[in-house]
Amino acid sequence: MTQLLENTTEFASSAVRGTWVVIAAYNEGEAIGGVVSDLVDDYPNVVVVDDGSGDDTADAAAGAGAVVLRHVINRGQGAALQTGITYALTRGAAYIVTFDADGQHQKSDLPALIGPLARGEVDICLGSRFLEHAGSVPLARRLLLSLAVLFTRLTSGVRLTDAHNGLRAFSRRAAARIDIRLDRMAHASELIDQIRQSGLPYREIPVHIRYTDYSLAKGQRGSAAFRVALDYLIGRVMR
Amino acid sequence: MNLFQILAVAAVLLLSTWTVRTAFRGQMRKRIALFWLLVWLGSGTTIVWPRATVVVANRLGIGRGADLVLYVSVVVTMAGFFYVYTRFRRMDTQLTQLVRALAIQNARKPEPSDTPKQPSAH
Ligand SMILES: Nc1nc2c(ncn2[C@@H]2O[C@H](COP(=O)(O)OP(=O)(O)O)[C@@H](O)[C@H]2O)c(=O)[nH]1
Ligand SMILES: [Mg+2]
Repeated sequence: MTQLLENTTEFASSAVRGTWVVIAAYNEGEAIGGVVSDLVDDYPNVVVVDDGSGDDTADAAAGAGAVVLRHVINRGQGAALQTGITYALTRGAAYIVTFDADGQHQKSDLPALIGPLARGEVDICLGSRFLEHAGSVPLARRLLLSLAVLFTRLTSGVRLTDAHNGLRAFSRRAAARIDIRLDRMAHASELIDQIRQSGLPYREIPVHIRYTDYSLAKGQRGSAAFRVALDYLIGRVMR
Repeated sequence: MNLFQILAVAAVLLLSTWTVRTAFRGQMRKRIALFWLLVWLGSGTTIVWPRATVVVANRLGIGRGADLVLYVSVVVTMAGFFYVYTRFRRMDTQLTQLVRALAIQNARKPEPSDTPKQPSAH
């Protein structure tokens, strides 16, 4: 098992038992089974929100050992994450981790994200692919993401090295204050605003993102960034 | 009155009675109904007495009556778009809430397949 259990304090295993991993998935039937079965080996509480997929995402996730919540129609990643978070809270989660469905995130990064929460140091840990492993990020991605970081600094006034990383961990108290209203991809910026407004302490943690051909082919196009930025700005004005 | 005026006034009267009836049946909010009645009243006035627009336009410092009509309709159309847009956004939010409630209500518990899992390689 992973590091978290290696220093087998009771504290560590109770942190694992109190952790819910939330995965938003849209047409990830190809990848989701492997992602879930890898996770449940160490983290028994995994909830996959199948966001109206047209493929076998739900069956693959349930077969691999996840609780599956199904959006009958596609509502976007932000909406799906909020559904998973709300559900995890009703199940008594002490810590909530958001994790991508496409295999880009590593289970081995979780102890570093949950640890500071379990030790009561901060309430939110945000994964960053630029604190240590920046070299592995494709160049085009890196440029786009540094624009996103700049955008976040300008609109939210928060200094982060990676504003759009889907790998995050929240304490129960932080998760309860999160209220994602931007249904699609702009939720990442919205989340950062809410974290700042909550006044709860957060920290960036270096994580490793795996850029497989599968995830790059399926992932967000650079051109989508304008739509995301617009969604976010409208969301700020309109409430 | 020419034929166009007669037909147009008839249409406006019909729309007004329809608006009032809908409001009294509780199918339209009173405020919205009032808005439409004002629109119909304005249309009726300018149909019967086109020079009214010129009079009002001149008061406002706009030269031609047709310009006034254009400005007013642009503003009203924009306001209409804005109203529909906010309604749309609200419905969108409500739709998400509905989809979310359904999803949580019908949570599907894990169904690990019968075949024992491969021991993990970690
Ligand atoms: N629920 C939901 N999840 C989505 C949607 N689009 C993408 N995702 C998930 O969000 C995660 C990240 O999306 P991805 O497109 O890979 O973004 P990228 O990694 O930033 O390029 C993956 O786990 C996707 O399955 C959607 O419409 N709804
Ligand atoms: Mg991806």
